[in-house]
Amino acid sequence: MHPLLLTFLIIGVPAGIGLVYIFVRGTSSMRRYIVTRIALTLPMVLILATLVFFVLRILPGDPVTSALGPKGSPEVKEQLRENLGLSDPILIQYGRFLGNIVTFDFGESLVGAHRPVSDELGERLPATIELILPATVLALLIGILFGTWAAARRKRASDYGFRLYSVVIYAMPIFWLGLLLQLLFGKVLGWAPIAGRIDAIVGTTLDRTTNFIVIDSIISGNWTALGSALHHMILPTLTLGLVLSGVFVRLTRINVIETLQEDYVTAANARGIRKHAVTYRYALKNAMIPVITLIGLQVAILLAGAVLTETVFSWPGMGRYLVERISSRDFTAVQSTITMFAIFVAMISLAVDIIYSLLDPRVRY
Amino acid sequence: MALDTKVPMGEPEAMRWASELEDVGFVRRILMARKWYHADWWFVTISAVMVVGFIVLALVPQVFASFSPQEQVGPRYLAPGESPDVEALIAPVDSGFSTVGDLAVGERISVAVVMGEPSSEAVRDESDRVNAAFKEQGIDAQVSLRIERYETLDAALTGILDGDVAVAISSSKAFEELAENYPTLNDVGPVAPGVNTRSFPLGTNQLGQDVLSRLIWGTRIALIIGFSSSLVSLFIGVPLGLFAGFTGGKIDRALTVLMDSLYAFPGLILAIAITAVLGPSIFNVIVAIAVLYIPTYFRIVRGQTLSVKESLYVEAARSLGAKARVILSRYVYPNVIPSVAIIFSVNVADAILTGAGLSFLGLGLPPTTPDWGIDLARGQETIQTAWWLITFPGVAVMLVVLAFTMMGEGLMEIFNPKLRER
Amino acid sequence: MKRFRHLLVLLFALALVAAACGDDTAETTTTAATTTTAAATTTTAATTTTAGEPEEKTLIIGTTDQIASLDGADAYAVHDWELLKNIGEGLIHWEPGSGDNLVPGVATDLGAFSEDGLSYTISLLPGLVFGDGTPLTAQTYADQINNRLLVLEGPNGVGPALGQPYVESVEALDDVTIKFNLTGTWAFFPQLLAGAPYIPTNPTQFGAELNLFPEAPVYGNGPWYIESYTQGEQAVLLPNELYHGERPALDRVIIRYFGDPQTMALAVESGEIDVAWRILGPELISQLEGVDGLTVETIPAGPIRYLILSHTLAPTDDPNVRKAIASLVDRDELTDRVFGGTTTPLYSQVPPGFLGATEVFDDLYGSPNIDAAVGFLAASGYTPDNPLELSLAYPPEHYGAETADIFEVLKEQLEASGAINVTLIAQEWSTYIGAVIGGADYPVSFLGWFYDYPDPDNYLSPFISNGGLGTMVTDPDTGEVTAGLDPRLTTLLLEAAATSDPAQRIALYEELQQVYAEEVVTVPLLIIAEHIVYRDGVAGSADFPSMETLNIGPTVEFNYFTLDVTG
Repeated sequence: MHPLLLTFLIIGVPAGIGLVYIFVRGTSSMRRYIVTRIALTLPMVLILATLVFFVLRILPGDPVTSALGPKGSPEVKEQLRENLGLSDPILIQYGRFLGNIVTFDFGESLVGAHRPVSDELGERLPATIELILPATVLALLIGILFGTWAAARRKRASDYGFRLYSVVIYAMPIFWLGLLLQLLFGKVLGWAPIAGRIDAIVGTTLDRTTNFIVIDSIISGNWTALGSALHHMILPTLTLGLVLSGVFVRLTRINVIETLQEDYVTAANARGIRKHAVTYRYALKNAMIPVITLIGLQVAILLAGAVLTETVFSWPGMGRYLVERISSRDFTAVQSTITMFAIFVAMISLAVDIIYSLLDPRVRY
Repeated sequence: MALDTKVPMGEPEAMRWASELEDVGFVRRILMARKWYHADWWFVTISAVMVVGFIVLALVPQVFASFSPQEQVGPRYLAPGESPDVEALIAPVDSGFSTVGDLAVGERISVAVVMGEPSSEAVRDESDRVNAAFKEQGIDAQVSLRIERYETLDAALTGILDGDVAVAISSSKAFEELAENYPTLNDVGPVAPGVNTRSFPLGTNQLGQDVLSRLIWGTRIALIIGFSSSLVSLFIGVPLGLFAGFTGGKIDRALTVLMDSLYAFPGLILAIAITAVLGPSIFNVIVAIAVLYIPTYFRIVRGQTLSVKESLYVEAARSLGAKARVILSRYVYPNVIPSVAIIFSVNVADAILTGAGLSFLGLGLPPTTPDWGIDLARGQETIQTAWWLITFPGVAVMLVVLAFTMMGEGLMEIFNPKLRER
Repeated sequence: MKRFRHLLVLLFALALVAAACGDDTAETTTTAATTTTAAATTTTAATTTTAGEPEEKTLIIGTTDQIASLDGADAYAVHDWELLKNIGEGLIHWEPGSGDNLVPGVATDLGAFSEDGLSYTISLLPGLVFGDGTPLTAQTYADQINNRLLVLEGPNGVGPALGQPYVESVEALDDVTIKFNLTGTWAFFPQLLAGAPYIPTNPTQFGAELNLFPEAPVYGNGPWYIESYTQGEQAVLLPNELYHGERPALDRVIIRYFGDPQTMALAVESGEIDVAWRILGPELISQLEGVDGLTVETIPAGPIRYLILSHTLAPTDDPNVRKAIASLVDRDELTDRVFGGTTTPLYSQVPPGFLGATEVFDDLYGSPNIDAAVGFLAASGYTPDNPLELSLAYPPEHYGAETADIFEVLKEQLEASGAINVTLIAQEWSTYIGAVIGGADYPVSFLGWFYDYPDPDNYLSPFISNGGLGTMVTDPDTGEVTAGLDPRLTTLLLEAAATSDPAQRIALYEELQQVYAEEVVTVPLLIIAEHIVYRDGVAGSADFPSMETLNIGPTVEFNYFTLDVTG
């Protein structure tokens, strides 16, 4: 599946619904704001892509030299570079790059099998999403749970316990947590596999249409594959999710504490509503709003954490792809991947902003 | 602690209490603060002690580390607390060899070792020592060895019987297990008599370097990266934030858009790209990480500047004709400092984490630097056989990051009025 | 909140159930201690069915390599060549397991040079066909070389590298006789001809254009054909029914591609695969050595590692400095300390087993010899009070993470002289390799090499001719020997390449290696020996040498047709 199509589907659909809602029901100032945001996103992505393009070209070294190494005479290398279009004037290459983005082509990888980059990204992006999504859900669950408990038991032992947890888990390097989990659950106890998305043999029985292994195995009824995929997801998801949960615990706790000091909470208490109900039914809902929007900002942390998690667990995702291709100077792949990242991040923050504006009646434009 | 203003205090009592407070020294005040801030006080104090401890380690690692981080102190992959086996010379019963010195037969002599054992190094170190001793004493003989490597001890011992090699070196223990199969061969004694073997509290790594010493020396690199990049971010981000917040207008908007897009972009990816462009060196790592945190300082400082700018007393000052410089230094600055201090503390922690992540990926630092991230990356290869190589550097990173984060956390609790009990 | 919690529990339970139903047969992540029991129950491969049913012998080989190209006119990587050599058979090739025995493949004999050495004539066996029935005649072959290898320029570049420089054109003198018109007198042409680029390829799949990833099935003229393949996953080889020789003992060979060596090591331990081949590092090798049911064998050949010394940059332009470096490197220490004994010290740029190989660096320098080194340095004025400032450059990732260790140890070894101060420069591969070949940046750098054709010429010429990959012993443009260096470097090289008499070539190469060592063109360090790991029940053929390493010899060629599985 083409990676851009994928991004649009996943983020665009809910955001699109929200957009439609705003346009129909929202104020004109809100509409103006949304349109301005969308209009700003495009040049931002373009500027970033251009920057990446030129910076890569400044880098010494090129994919041909990198791949052949000491083999092949300079003439051979020059010829191969020409064949790949790397000797063309830089503006022509830039034009080609822009054209690729607009037609969603992304060009062909300059190394290895020279596969179309959109094919490669189409395989890698779902892998990263399959890692990030469950991890975020886990992080949110733990974060909201612990954060609320901590806020409700302010200044007591369990509050400090949860705060300690959030700080300790955040202080652990994510790749270290991954290594420890690998060691403990993978090697010593043998409860979960430590690398890859799916068992090698089982993986060959699976028809990959969307490259989301979970979806593909459900669609084709391949329950062995589903089991293997879920089994492989356990440790990486746990790693990323736990580390992220630290952030959410802190955020939730602070927001709930602030909310609990609002007047309407005092009023509710005064009216005799039980503390339990007050915390969870009144305060939590309002406290969640900033927490959920902060998910948008945490995308940055998520993607960064994903790179490290993918490296530890040999997870074939976009982060690892980027690191590999930077070293082999696969210009096309790198500039396309970073552009994809930028689009991804921009769309998520736009989507989150839209949702925030819908949820929080206080937001005015 | 809320003074109940509704119940009037006797005048002399109140004054006495206030003056007592002023007389109290700094240390006393810190201890008294404990009563006000409770556990947060503990948070800050413990972490401050840890931070100071780490800074001391970073400043003078040689005082605490028994060895230099690059020095080979023992065999490879020694477990924590494990004593290395004694390497012994295995020779035919009638050969007459009893020490390595006896191997100086006037020509190259073939010696069998088992792949992966420290036997080869042991015998070569000893022959160097013996040769140096011969030279000193003016003896003409020299030991000249040809090392033949075998995959198993059995193959090596068979090699002696076949005549391919003259002697074998192996650990006494390993030979004991096979001794009965080779009645004509004898363990004639340790290869290096008189040399004490020791164990190491955290074991050794793939080059035989002491893990504990490397940990201590790694503190220096980690703190250099953490502090330098944070300071650079601070000195760029804070002035920019003040400027933008104070000036407002188009410049402010342009800067904000720039900083926001930088802030939203995944930091590690950016750092990866920057270090890939600049190449492996500690300076480039500092630059790459510094760039990531400029927006954080910028946003917070700008926000604070904006809110201070709108406040009544600043309006009053301005209407009285106070110059911008005065407003900045008298009103904005003091309000900004506490936030900056908190950010700095958390920033150092984050920078150390990002730096470790970069080294783990193999980017940024030259791989011969004694750095925790690099040690963790190498440790991953032997995660099954040498668990200590990934455990301890990770603990080190965690403790340092914890110290700085806790300090920032605690400071935030103390400074943030909204979080105080009413 | 309560509903929430119920939902959580439900989700968790679902996940557990799904995982439990899943992969309990093929998946084992147990530690070595329990491997034997696990292996007994998870015989997914190499098994025979109960008596009465036809046995199907399957062998699963794991590798971390990737398929980069299946077109013989383009492919340049070790794994691509391995596949090509199994689905195709060259006119001549190496006897499996040997390093110096060329035997006819689909040719009647080894062929012969003409009098002047400028052409090479060889005859095909009659009646040859490819696996899909397409006939293989001299004309087919001539067309293949003329129109593909000598003309097409693919991204992997083997044509311009191993075709065009050596062969002018190919003629079909009749149905079976082939004549190669060479560009010069190349005495090692038979070795070249035995390589993958010169293996006959099927014109129906490899025509006028390059076809890097032809649609399966891929037929050649060898004992196997590729029934199917998926990048990064697996390739399935079945016996070629139309092969002119004996049918292989195995019924199926599956090559499984792994993303990293650790997973592959686990897979061979647990029985998921039968053979692990390329590339397990020294740590994984020592880990697997202790495992019951596995055999770990070292193949005494493989890529070499060496230091490039610039002969035009200071301070290595000074012969005393070069000789001091050659006297200080301790290859045994590198082997033991960095690689745990799994590599082999290398004492000449030409590895042992090749024609005329000597151990000249050991004879000449006997390193480590600190006294000699101190002497050389003093002769150029470098003393402990006036030390030599020397920088060593290396690529930290390309050759493995151990490269950094090699240089930490080398730094100690060089500084043991007391008169050298070493600075280490780690530079990222893409930047590094361009700089090394350019010859203007690093006085001392580090490279690896694997042969294009197994001949001493291929281990000497790249480091002497045309700038020598940064050694600068000759001028990169004119090819002239740099002033002050022994001109025999080029004259002997050319003479030995043109002489066809093996005894004469040996003498010439021995002399050349002596000159090479005296000028210290490079400092050969180690051979990264290849290792192969296989489970009990897998065996090579006793008919060929090196049975214990599954008939993989110094040429590092893996022929699947010699393999068999028992029980």
